[in-house]
Order: sequence, then structure tokens, then C-alpha cells
Amino acid sequence: MSPRVRPRPPVPADLPELPTSLRGAGRVLDARLHLLDRQILDVDDVPVTTLDDLLVLTADGGELTTGEQPAFVDQLLTGPVLATRVFGGRPPASRWVRIPWADVTDVGVAVTLGVRGEGLDATWVQRWLRDHVIARIPGGRHDPG
Amino acid sequence: MKRLLGVALGVLTAIGGFLDIGDLVTNAVVGSRFGMSLTWAVLLGVVGICLFAQMAGRVTAVSGRATFEIIRERLGPRASGTNLVASFLINLLTLTAEIGGVALALQLASSVEPRLWIPVAAFAVWVVVWRAKFEVLEDVTGLLGLTLLVFAVSVVLLDPDWAHLAHTAAAPQIPATEGAASYFYYAIALFGAAMTPYEVFFFSSGAVEEKWGPKDISQSRINVLVGFPLGGLLSLSIAACATLVFLPQQIEVSTLSQVVLPVAEAGGKLALAFVLVGIVAATFGASLETTLSAGYTIAQFFGWSWGKFRRPSQAPGFHVVMIACLLVGAGVLMTDVDPVRVTEFSVVFSAVALPLTYLPILLVANDPEYMGDQVNGRVLNGLALVFLVLILAASLAAIPLMIATGAGA
Repeated sequence: MSPRVRPRPPVPADLPELPTSLRGAGRVLDARLHLLDRQILDVDDVPVTTLDDLLVLTADGGELTTGEQPAFVDQLLTGPVLATRVFGGRPPASRWVRIPWADVTDVGVAVTLGVRGEGLDATWVQRWLRDHVIARIPGGRHDPG
Repeated sequence: MKRLLGVALGVLTAIGGFLDIGDLVTNAVVGSRFGMSLTWAVLLGVVGICLFAQMAGRVTAVSGRATFEIIRERLGPRASGTNLVASFLINLLTLTAEIGGVALALQLASSVEPRLWIPVAAFAVWVVVWRAKFEVLEDVTGLLGLTLLVFAVSVVLLDPDWAHLAHTAAAPQIPATEGAASYFYYAIALFGAAMTPYEVFFFSSGAVEEKWGPKDISQSRINVLVGFPLGGLLSLSIAACATLVFLPQQIEVSTLSQVVLPVAEAGGKLALAFVLVGIVAATFGASLETTLSAGYTIAQFFGWSWGKFRRPSQAPGFHVVMIACLLVGAGVLMTDVDPVRVTEFSVVFSAVALPLTYLPILLVANDPEYMGDQVNGRVLNGLALVFLVLILAASLAAIPLMIATGAGA
């Protein structure tokens, strides 16, 4: 009996068929409750930043306008966007500090990334402080004790 | 045997680390004006800090998340931002008071003007924060702080009428010379001094620094439940010393030298030497704790890398915040403000900021996502709710009472 290669069924065109019923749908994440304002850790568990906001897009890549459209989280946002969450308004897209959702490997009590925090835009202030202040003080690059 | 030593060390450092300039000053002032009639406020504060410090430590040990990360996550950016600003400013005020306390204690020991000691003290705090290992700084200051037990010894040496002392503590009455508003103002100050929020930030972040896991919870519970009440007993013995020496003479304590006077009277030079070492250790230890807490709160709110277990270059924002706070604190002290007055304000403002810190801890301690099967039991939740009501009442009453009494004058 020759092994039969069964062709995989093609991906349906109407992909954004997210579960309409929450029952039995596995783990449901509430963006506000489980994502916003959580600590983001890098692949070595080093804190990167806090998840200040989310960029949510509709399935065709457009901006989300109503609550009814199926949508997905495209980017984690941080940086100046925090101030606008406190005081209202919205920073221009050029001022967003983004981390792609594709880098996220785990969502628990913190959001864990699969990349190192060192090279990310989100940590540039820390890098600047390190290179211009902390590393110049004697002992700044050594282990305590 | 090693484990037993660990427990003993933990308890001893908890006792020695319990007292800071706020407890020293507030208890002495209260003793000199109200006798032992505010013992209940100290006891309430001690039960409260045991309850919530233990809870915060447990949350961190189980979930790995420190208190201000939890505050941010639960309250959102607005409410937690408000809490951050309030806690940070109060913490800065406390830090200023503690460094001032170090300088005043060194002045008592050396007769060198405090303004010469302030930069030295601030620099010493920075060097320790910059270079020393977390465990070392905690243990050394805690153990040296144990010399404050001389306050308890002094109470015995002063040979009080124990029955009378116990009676005034057990059946409190507002002294005829004082108004009810001042009485409750100082009750809030004592409560705030015992429950200062920085202790919880420090305690929970310390759990991360020392890499606690669920296994370490029982040890931390012993430290807190034995160490803090004994620390509270020390607080009460400071009040008792002031009660015995100053209350009959109608002298109101307003300087640090008056705080130590009863000890000198009871035990002479040797006791004085002990108490000075103790005050330097206690205020220096609390300076370290408040400096670190300033870094912890800001770094955790913004999600930066923090911790003394990392090299400074791996937690740059954290260290910059601490350096800035030390510079500001020392700068403020150089303007010749009275550290004792700064202390009195810092403990009352602490009481104002308490609810926003303790509510999120209680919420998360009941969240199975964080705690798994280690969520709070019913008894603990009941007690914590009672305390939350008390904290809220103290927080709401603090500012009106401060205005009404002219800050307790």
C-alpha cells in the first residue's frame, strides 16, 4: 500500500473567522486586562519596557474604526504614547516606539519577547543613559560587591 | 543549623531595620506630649505593615512581579501615575529626612556641624547603593540597628511605675492639655510612620533582588511576623522613654538630641554611644532603602531594567534616578531645613498615599493568574479589608487634621 500524500486543504479565503463563541475557545486574552500596562521582558527575562499601548488593525490592514470588525494586534507600542494615555490625544505615528507582535513568545503575568532587548528602539533611552552617564562613573561596568 | 541561622539573621535584621527617623522622632514627640495613650496607633500600624508587607513579598515570590509593576498593571497609567508622583515625592521627603537624621546623629557623636556631614552621608549612601551587594547592605544596617534595643533597656533602668504605664496604654485618654484634633493627628502620624509605603516597595523589590521563590515564603513570613512586632516594641520603648523623662516636665521633644536624652540619663555615656550607633545605622539603612525605593518605583512604572543584582550599566535609568534623588535630598538639607520637621511632614503625607499602594496589592494577592493556588485566604482578606478601611480613613483625615492643628502644634 503506497503511502498516499493527502493534499493539505487550502487555507480558506475567509481566514479572519475568529471564534464567535468564547466557549471552549481555549485561552481568551482581554487586551486591556492581560496586555496593557504589563511588563515586557526580553528573551533573557531582562525588563525592556512597559506595554503602553497596542496598534490594532483590521484583517485587511486598515485602521480599526468600529468594535465589530475582526481585528488583530499588529504592534506593541511604548514611549511617548504613554503620556497620551494619561492626558489624552494621540502622538503622530512617527513618534511611536514599536515592537512587532511577531516578536512576542509568551503572555503571562509579563509579556515575553523572543528577541534581546539590547537592540530595540524601546530601550534607546536606557542605552543613552548607560553610554553617557553610568558607564563613565568608576565601577559602573562591574558586578556589585 | 544553617537554616536556623538564616531565620535568626532575618528576624534580627527585620527588628533592626524596622525603625527609621520617622519612628524615632514621631514616637519621642508623642511620648513627650501624649504619654503612652497612643500605643494603639503603633500597634495598628505594626499589624498593618505585617499584613501588607508579607502579602507584597508573597505576591512577588510567587509571580516574580514587584509591587509597582502590579500597581501599574492594575490601576492603569492615570491612577498609577498619580500614585507614582505621590509616592515618589513622599519617598524623596523621607530620603531627605533620613539623610538629615544620619547627619544629626553624627553631629551628636562628633560636634561637627550637620551641614558638613550631609554631603558625606549622601555620598556614603551612594557608594553603598552603587557598589555593595544587596544582602550585605541589608544585614549590616539591620544588625547595627539592633543597638537601638538600648531604648528598651533604658525604660527598665528608668524604673517606671509599670502598672501606671500599662494602664495609660491600655485605657487611652486624651491628656487634658491637648486637643482631640492633635491627638488624632499624631495617631495618623504614628500609623503612617509604621506603614510608610517605601517599606513595601523595598520589601517586594528585595524579594526579586534576593531571588525568592515560593519556597522562601515561610522564611519571609517568620521575618515579618516576629521581626516587625519586636521592632514595634522598640518604637513603644522610645515613646516610653520620652513619657518618663519629658511628660512630667511638660517638655516637648523637637530635636534629635532630646530623643536620645532619656537614654543618656538612664544609662550614661555607654548607653549614649549605643544609641548613637543605632540611630546612625537605622537612618543610614533607611536612607539606603528609600534611595533604592525611588529607583524601584520609577523603573517598575516605566518597565526599565532595575536591581542591585545587575551591574549599574545594565540598569542605567535605575541608577540615574537614585543619583538624582540623593543630589536633591542633600541639596534640600543644605538649605538648613530642620530634618525633624521634614520627618514629621513625611510621615503624615505617607498616610495620605497609603490606599493607592495597598489596594492593588490586595487585588493581585487574590488573582489566581498571578498567585495560582497561593491566593489569600478568607481570614487574611477580611483583615486586609478592615485595614484598607482604616487606611482610607487615615488618608482622608490626614490633610484636614494637619490644617486644623497647624501640623500638630
